Order: sequence, then C-alpha cells, then structure tokens
Amino acid sequence: MLTALVLLPVVAAIVVMLVPGGRREVHLPLGIALSIFPLALAGYLFWVFEPAAGFQYVDRVTWYEPWGIDWHLGVDGISLPMVVLTTLLVPIALAASTSIDRRIKEFVVYTLFLEAGLIGAFLSLDLFLFFVFFEAMLIPMYFIIGIWGSERRIYAAMKFLIYTAFGSALMLAAIIGLALTHVDQTGSASFALSDLAALDLSVGAERLFFAAFAIAFAIKVPLFPFHTWLPDAHVEAPTAGSVLLAAVLLKLGTYGLLRFNMALFPEASVDAIPIMAILAVIGIIYGAVVAIVQPDLKKLVAYSSVSHLGFIVLGTFALTSGGLQGAVIQNVNHGLTTGALFLLVGMIYDRRHTKKIADFGGLQKTVPLLAGFFLFMTFASIGLPGLNGFIGEFLVLMGSFPALPSLTVIAALGVVLAAIYLLWAYERVFTGVPDKDENKALSDLSAREIALLAPLAALIVVIGIYPGLLLDKITPSTEAVIDHVVEQTDFVVPEPGRIADVHVAGDEG
Amino acid sequence: MITPPEISWLAIAPDLALTLGAALVLLVDVQWKPVARVHAWVSGVTVAVAAGLTVAQWIQAAPADALAFSGLITMDGFAIFTRLVLIAATALGLAAGWRFVAGLGRRGAEAIALVLLATSGFSLMVASNNLVMMFMGLEVGSIALYVVAGLARERRESEEAAIKYFLLGSFASAIFIYGVALIYAGTGQFEIVGIRDLLAGFVVSSPAVIYIGVGLVVVGLAFKVSAAPFHAWAPDVYQGAPAGLVGYMATVAKVAGFAAIARILLTGVLDLSGSWLPVVAGISVVSMLLGSVLALVQGDVRRLLAYSGVSHAGFIMTGVVGGATDAVLFYLAIYAIQLIGAFAVVAVVAGPDAAGSSIDQYRGLGRRSPLLAGAFTVILLGMGGLPVTSGFVAKFGVFTGAWAEGYEWLVIVAVVATVVALAFYIRVIVVMYMDEAQEEGTLRIGPERWVLVLAVAATILWGIFPASLLDLAADALPI
Repeated sequence: MLTALVLLPVVAAIVVMLVPGGRREVHLPLGIALSIFPLALAGYLFWVFEPAAGFQYVDRVTWYEPWGIDWHLGVDGISLPMVVLTTLLVPIALAASTSIDRRIKEFVVYTLFLEAGLIGAFLSLDLFLFFVFFEAMLIPMYFIIGIWGSERRIYAAMKFLIYTAFGSALMLAAIIGLALTHVDQTGSASFALSDLAALDLSVGAERLFFAAFAIAFAIKVPLFPFHTWLPDAHVEAPTAGSVLLAAVLLKLGTYGLLRFNMALFPEASVDAIPIMAILAVIGIIYGAVVAIVQPDLKKLVAYSSVSHLGFIVLGTFALTSGGLQGAVIQNVNHGLTTGALFLLVGMIYDRRHTKKIADFGGLQKTVPLLAGFFLFMTFASIGLPGLNGFIGEFLVLMGSFPALPSLTVIAALGVVLAAIYLLWAYERVFTGVPDKDENKALSDLSAREIALLAPLAALIVVIGIYPGLLLDKITPSTEAVIDHVVEQTDFVVPEPGRIADVHVAGDEG
Repeated sequence: MITPPEISWLAIAPDLALTLGAALVLLVDVQWKPVARVHAWVSGVTVAVAAGLTVAQWIQAAPADALAFSGLITMDGFAIFTRLVLIAATALGLAAGWRFVAGLGRRGAEAIALVLLATSGFSLMVASNNLVMMFMGLEVGSIALYVVAGLARERRESEEAAIKYFLLGSFASAIFIYGVALIYAGTGQFEIVGIRDLLAGFVVSSPAVIYIGVGLVVVGLAFKVSAAPFHAWAPDVYQGAPAGLVGYMATVAKVAGFAAIARILLTGVLDLSGSWLPVVAGISVVSMLLGSVLALVQGDVRRLLAYSGVSHAGFIMTGVVGGATDAVLFYLAIYAIQLIGAFAVVAVVAGPDAAGSSIDQYRGLGRRSPLLAGAFTVILLGMGGLPVTSGFVAKFGVFTGAWAEGYEWLVIVAVVATVVALAFYIRVIVVMYMDEAQEEGTLRIGPERWVLVLAVAATILWGIFPASLLDLAADALPI
C-alpha cells in the first residue's frame, strides 16, 4: 500500500506528461483530479492505522543486495500525519495555481514529482532510500521556484538548491560512514534505520555523525543561523511553491531530527539538547522580531515560519512526552495555517499584484470574506484557544518547561510576538478606510477559492477542538522515541515529563 | 634458444577485429569510393564483431588462461569490462559524430579508420599486463586521437587543438615511458603481475627508483585522464576539436587511462600503497576542487564539460584510493555514456564541426527543442550525481570505497565538491529553461538522437536498477 502511495503521484505525473502540450486547459484539472487518488489512499491509511503497532504496512524489497540497500517503506504515528498533510496540500496547491499562465503542464508534472519525493522521504525506513528521495525532490522544487517565481527567482532557486544540497552532502558522508560501521561490526551491509540504530558508536563518531545529520536537517527546517535561504525562496516562489515549501518541505527537517537523529544518535542527541534548544529559541525570537518589521506580506509569513518551526525543534529536543507530541502536532498545524496564509497572500497578490503591506489598507470593507479567512488563520497561527495552534504551542511549552524552564519562558515570548506581527499586519492591510483607489474595486473570494480554504479551516477547528484525533495516533510513536533514548543513554526524563497513562512501554513508576 | 610465445588469438581478437575493420574501411574507400552509408555499415559491423568477440572472451575467460602471449596480454574480467566500455563508446561516438564524418566527404573514411584504430590501441592498453605493451597501446590510441582532434582542419581552432594535444600528449607519453624504465630499473620487471609478486616476495633494496618510476607513470596517465594539475590541455582541445567526436576522444582516453592507473597501482604496486596513496589522494582533491570551481566560471559549454571532466577525474581517483575497482569500472561506464551524450547535444546545438559552444546558444533551448533540452538536463543531473540517476550510484560507490579505506576526509571534500559541481550543471539547465531564446528555428538532429536515447536510458534505468551493471562490474576483477 505504501509503495502505491509513493508511486501514484509518479503515475499521475506520467499521465499528465503524455497529454499533448496543445491541450492547455486540460493539464491542471487533470493534475488536480489525479492528485485526489493519493489523498484518498492516505485518508484510508489514516483510518486503518493502528497507533500501538509501531511501523506498519512495511514494504521491503531488496534493491541491491551487496550494498544492503532496500526499498523499505513503513509508516508510524510520526510520519502518518505528514503523509496525509502532503497529499492534502498538493491538490489544494495545484488548484490555487490557476493564475499560472505559461508552461502549466510542466508545472503540474513537477508538483506531482515533488509530491512523490515528499511521500517517499516521509515513509523511508532505509537511509539510502531516504537520501534518494530527500535529494531528488530538490530538482522539482528548484524548477518550481526558478521558472514560475517572481523577479529574483533564479537567484532564490540557486540559493535554495546550494544550501540544501550542501547540507545533504554532509549527510551523505555520514550515511556512508554509518553503513561502513555496520559492515565493520556485523560483517554485512545494511542501510536500514533499525539496523543502524543498533550500532555501537564511539562518542566522537556519534557526535560527528549527529552534527552531519543535524546540519542537513537544520538547513531544511531552517534553524537559526541556517535560515537565510528561506525568505528568498518563499518570496520568489509561486503561491503553490510557497505553500508546499512551508507546509511540507520544511517539515522534512523537523521530521528528520525526530526520526533519524533521535533514533540513530541518542547519546549525542541528549548531549546536544542545550545547543539545539538555544538555537531553536533564538530562531523563535529572531524570526518573530524580524517578521514585525517586514514591509512585504509574504516575507512576513516566511519569517513567521522561522519562528514557528523553532517551537517544533524546541519541543523535539525537550524530549518529554508533551514536547514530542507538541512537535509532531505543530508540524501539522504549521502546515495547515501557514499553507493557508500563503494561499491568502497569493490570492491578494493575484488581485493587486503587490505584496507590500503599505499598498493596502481597509481591505475588509471590499473583500470581507478574504479578510475573515485571513483573520481566522491569523488566530490559528497565534494560538487562540479552540484552534489548532493553541494545542501545539501549549503542548510544546508545557512539555519543554520541566526540561528547559528558562528557555521555555523566553520561547513563550514568541507567542506574544506572533500576536504582534500578525495582528499588526492584519490591522495595516485590512482595517481602516480604503484610501487607495486600487483597493476599492477588488473582488471578494470566488467559490473556488473558498473551496480551497474551507478544508484547511475545517481541520484547524477540528484539531483545535478534538486534538485526540491526531494525538491518539501520534503518542505511541513519540513515546517509543523517548523510550529508545532512555534505553540507550542514562538520560532521565525530567518530572513531570512523561504522560503516565499513555506510556505504553510499561512505566514501573 | 628463443621459444616463440604461444598464440592465444581470442585474447587479442577484439583488437584485431578493430584494426582489420579500420583497414577494410580504407580499402573499400580507395577501391569503390562508396557513399557514406557503406562506411556506416562496415564500421558498424566491425564494432559489432569486436563487441561479440569481447563477450566471447567474457564467457571463455577462466583464471587459469587469464594470461596470454607469455604474459603480455591478460584476459581478466577487468580488461574485458573496460574493453566493452571502449567499444560501446566507439559505437556511440561514431553515431554522435556521424554528421561530421559524413560531412568530411572523401576524408570521412580516414576519420572512421582513425577512430577504430584509436579504440584498438586503447583496447590493447587496458588488456596489457606488460608496461611496454601498455605503452604501445597508449601510443596507438593517442596518436590516432591527435589526428582526430585536427580533422576539421579548415578551422584554426581545430589545428590548434591538434597541435596542443599532440605536444602535451607526447610529453605525457614520454614521462610515462620514463617511469616504466625506472620501474624496470628498480624491479627488473615489465610485467605487472611480476612486479606484484616481486614486491610481495622480496625486500627491495633501492625503492626510491621504483617510487620515482611509479610517480612518473601516474603523472603520465594523469595527463591522459586530465586530472589536475595536469589538465591544462583539456579545455582547449575539447573546445577546438570537431564537436561530434570530442565526446568519443575524451571518453576513451579517460577510460583507458583510468584502467591503466587502476591496474598498475592496484595490481602492480599495491604493496607500496603507503607511498602512493597520499599522492593519488592529493591529485584527487586538487582535481575535484579545481575542476568544479573553474567550471563555474566558464562561458562555453565545451570548456565547462572539460573542467567537469577534471572534477570527474578527481571523483574516480577517490575510487582508486579506495581500491574499489568495481566502483571505478561502474563510474567509468556511466561517465562514458553520459559524456558522449553531453557532447552529442553540443554537436546538435553548435553544429557538427563548429568550434566552441557558447552558453548563449543554449538560451531557451527548453522552448526551442524540449526533447533535446530534456535529454541534456537528465545527462547533466546524472553527471552532477543527483539521486535516481546512475551518476549518484557511481559516486556513492567510489565514495564508499574511499571511506572504507580510512580516507574519510577525502570523502568529505568530495561531497562538498559534488555540491559545487551541481551548481555549474544547474547553471546550464537554468539557461536552457529560464532564459528566453536568442535564436529561433528548430535544430537538425541526426543519428545523435540514438545516442541521447541511450544516454538518458542509461542514466535513469541504471540509476533506479543499478544491480545489473554493478554485478557485472563486481565480477570484472583484475588478475
């Protein structure tokens, strides 16, 4: 089933490719229609997923025996939400791309290949396979930014590519090192995550490998100080590119830290807690402060991503039940709200052809529905109780406090700053009297645009009111991560860091 | 009394077939002055026969009769695999250069004969177990290539390329043979297996002579494979030689050169690896970094491919450092196909006998000629070593080999160089897809299309299913 999930977008891309280029109006609807199939399959997967069963629906086929490489896919509570999020956002991002007027066929094809790469990366349990997906998806994203972006697109695309490729190059070296260590210790080659996690690494080697992986993922997140590619990429990318970049691509970084760094290098992860947490908190505050002063709406949302992703890293490296739950759920939340915010910015841009905050004012008089959705997403992003952002940030802060009290207090400031930059932006763009003539004659959201935003808004409310829907699926897997770290090291989870009733591994206390 | 060496025809059958084919092309041309199509048939059959005989060697070869002609020639898997790559490169190279060859008119037969002779020389070189034999193969191949470089003699650049290639190439050959002489002085052996046994069995009293000899041999071959800092000829030659045949020239010289390096270092003087490993690692580092960085600033696609060739030489050297002959062979096979494919694109875009290939000619190629641009994109990404292409598998193989030998730092430099290299391949792709076309009109594409189809197929299929070629390379062990 998981293999089908990875291959469906590839098949869809090939089908779109085979439709002759002259039939311009066909490609986009066809792409949207075909991208519903992965979504349906992912939805089914979510439905039948057994939370307590660990990795499931495992597909394992030997790829190249002498090197120990397998086509090895499996899903657990950490990857499941990301896969569903990916499959959900691809049709939405495609449907939001009607304003793309040239080379639409290639655009659809690249987006579908990107989807395949993303799903594959989230599901890989073999490091070689993971690296293949992780790196291969750079190319479609590079083209999406570079061909359909705005003025400085080529610069932004190149920066994106070089940054990410540099990070993953170091990771490749570390993967080779790990695999050869496995050969040394067991006599056989393997790239399977479970095999490599069982290796007995020296402290020095473990720290070096950890650093290589962590830098690769920190660039992807992006964690301060590796974030400088992000605003460029976001601002230049087309709407669909920004949505997928923010909502899913960046999550590969946080996902990777949680899935690979914790599993492969528990000792080094524990040692790195202070560094990672401090960088995360710097990111939270720095991203928020920089977002406040942005004159460009899209850049503002981009910097808000830096800030929000800091919370996820903080939660991850708090290594408590709440922290990890919060990190995973915040992965989803950020995908939904920031994806929606980028969609909204794109919709505003389609109407006004500017993203400068100063060019707007009083838009809620002319486009009340758009303003309403924007305010709703703003609230979700700030973390208003009852919406999803609150659940995630609350869990992260609650989970981090026992482990890192002072840093958590500083991080909490980020929530306040988020309210400042987002609400102030809302105030400048939407409230007041429309004083510019261009702003007076804008059309409100069309039925199509509402249809794009409505599912995201609905999920934001559902997760906000009933987080158990996600938490039930997530928790056993995040607890397993903590158990693994506790088993492998002398790390003690600070009280009250564990949630006793969901602790599946038999807590003796 | 001198005992004549026993004759093993099979061991040299492919080389004989190529030589006879070259003679046949010339004779047919003199006698009947046929149209180009006839030459295509003759050369095609020659290459097919040579390939068939090589496959027959593969089936026949057993370790016991691996040595032939009193130890001059070997028939080991290593030789057979490299030979197959050379012959495949010849077929692809002739197809890519066919429009140039056909355009030469009466001199077309010369070009074909020279290509076949060059292949027969290099093919003998990769199969030789004797350093003098190896030198003869190297010279037969190299001299034929010097002439090929000057075939477009109406153009000054082509003459310049031929003269430069000839002067620097003969200089390199001289260095090589001087090194061979010193190795002989130190060991009393020309035979690579003999040198290995000697070094394994005895303590050599004056190793310095051998060291210098090995060093000179490596330098001479490093010239041939355009490894830095011995690469200065490559950009000018690649730029000036006829576009259709540059891919072939670059490929066979590199494949044969690396096969010789691997055979001498990894079979002959492996026991002295402590002394040559740092040198080879150094050449590797300099090649990777210099090639990648200099390629970044090139405004001409042919010079760019020349510098990328320098960086590829560095990457292949990491495999030599790791002692992973199978990874080196896989890399060579993949790179050979991609390089010829890349130059086939150059030949289409610039015209088959043009000099230079400014990057401006590629502006908007994605609009003008989507399939050609698509093929070039796949090939460039493959050369860059992106996953899902065979280039990634190739790089992964040589890097793993070097890491396993304890050269972790070399691998780290190599992966960083890979990122730099990616940047200049991407630059060409940017120009093709993200700039507007300066020239209009569709491009004429001839037999190059088959080269491109094969290059793309090899890049993607061996990228996803590398097992078939990797297994073959793993079986192709040297004696």
